[in-house]
Amino acid sequence: MSKIQDTFLKIGSIDRRWIFLIIAAVVIVPLIFPVGLPIRPTDTTKNVYDSIEKLPAGSKVLLSVEYSPSTRPENHPMTISILRHLFKNNHKVFITCLWPDGQFMAQDAINQVAKQEFNKTYGVDYVFLGFRPGNEAVVKGIVSNLRKLYTVDVYQKKIDEIPLMNGINNFKDFDFLFSSSAGFPGTIEWVQYASDPTGIPMASGVTSIQVNEVMPYVQAGQMVGVLAGMPGAAEYEALINQKGSATSGMDAQSVAHLVIVLFIILGNVSFFIERNRSKKY
Amino acid sequence: MIWKRQIPILIVTIVGWITLLGWFIDQPDIQEFVNDDATQWFDILASFAIILGALNLIKLQVQKILYQKPGWIYSVVAVMGFLFAITAGFFVKGVDDSVAQWGAHVTTDGTLFKWMFDYMFSPMSATMFSLLAFFVASASYRAFRIRNFEATLLLVSGIIIMVGRVPIGSVISSWFVMYLIVLSAGIYINVWKKDMNTTFVFVAVGISIVTIAGFMYGWPIDKPGIFYLPAIQEWIYYYPNVAGARSIMIGIGLGIFATSIRYILGIERSYIGE
Repeated sequence: MSKIQDTFLKIGSIDRRWIFLIIAAVVIVPLIFPVGLPIRPTDTTKNVYDSIEKLPAGSKVLLSVEYSPSTRPENHPMTISILRHLFKNNHKVFITCLWPDGQFMAQDAINQVAKQEFNKTYGVDYVFLGFRPGNEAVVKGIVSNLRKLYTVDVYQKKIDEIPLMNGINNFKDFDFLFSSSAGFPGTIEWVQYASDPTGIPMASGVTSIQVNEVMPYVQAGQMVGVLAGMPGAAEYEALINQKGSATSGMDAQSVAHLVIVLFIILGNVSFFIERNRSKKY
Repeated sequence: MIWKRQIPILIVTIVGWITLLGWFIDQPDIQEFVNDDATQWFDILASFAIILGALNLIKLQVQKILYQKPGWIYSVVAVMGFLFAITAGFFVKGVDDSVAQWGAHVTTDGTLFKWMFDYMFSPMSATMFSLLAFFVASASYRAFRIRNFEATLLLVSGIIIMVGRVPIGSVISSWFVMYLIVLSAGIYINVWKKDMNTTFVFVAVGISIVTIAGFMYGWPIDKPGIFYLPAIQEWIYYYPNVAGARSIMIGIGLGIFATSIRYILGIERSYIGE
């Protein structure tokens, strides 16, 4: 018994570099050899899908991209899937960014989905308005008068010369908003200053760490749903029946989470052994 | 003194009152100011703030290099990165006007700025964030301890969220969770009663009940829902989490309200250095 306890104590004081190595291994191996675990869409993800599905063809959807390369594995698959769904249903997409880095992420998604996969026409099927500084003031600006805020698009083309921008003056001219967000400014600012005061429905895709603070708005009905982190992105990929990087990342995340839980259990076993021994002596 | 103290306080008070009243008075001029003009002013000020922030950053880093303070070598990298970004953003486009005009060059493939973003900023930013996975694993191993009831509650809900949120959670049967609960309760009974016979009877009866119930209901993986990890994690997200998040939000809201009132009434003067 004492030998088993000693082994647990040794495990408890393991060098953290071993932990790093194990985590690296359990993340890399499932990425190379995917297990293909089943993905079960949650209600919040299904609600986002259903809301977009219910929009009549040709609806004007504002897509706001507010994340940087650091959270790209979580947010980008959401943006890609939402764009695919919107273009598949022939909706008109208007893209804005509250983060400067978001402009690069949005451009990347446009290149992949709008140009390569759907061959959509710029200015007719979608518009890329780009980034403006000012955080929540930008949201308020879009709500009150979008044309004062955006005189040119991201390619320096005048807004008045873009056919798709005809009749678009403020936030009320859109039918739906999707915010792909990794923090401030982002989803919460869109709810507080745009969606809730105007009644335009919105949904969001957020990083796992943000789900806690966004969930009250979903439960209150101020948002139709939320894609919660990489699992949410994978669920959406399953719903639109087009697997992507989120689906392949789920195996790695599943195994990594299990290993972290195992670490926690081992750490606690070692903690109890140590505590009992110190009580004895 | 009046320009440094009274005038700024007066501006803040007047603008604060007008902005606040904009939510309650349906007067077109006030509405236009609050919704259009004030936000435009904010945009202009924010643009200047970016310049001031950049100048401040470069000043601090240069000072660190000149006085060779600890870690000054990193400041050299920061200054070089800053100068490179300025060059790529304002002076060297890397492509002709036919490919991308100034402004559009930021997101156009082939430009120096886009190269910098794709091959320098993106990998470095992603690397920093990826390191979190390793630190979270290491920290949870060392710090997540069952020291008291609150810590146990946090640990159990954390584990349920971590496993229930990912696909592997949906392949763990609720019956397996029930067996785990019986065994965990058995450990607790053993610690409490310190009697192996009682523990044995408790565990044997518990396992028998779960097994008989399993055979009766046909071992459905997600039934009963109360023991199915994805269902439990959804419940935690929707109810205890939302309750906690709401209370925090209401607290923050009240704090913002109190601070705003202090600004509007001229009580809070930290923005003028007092």
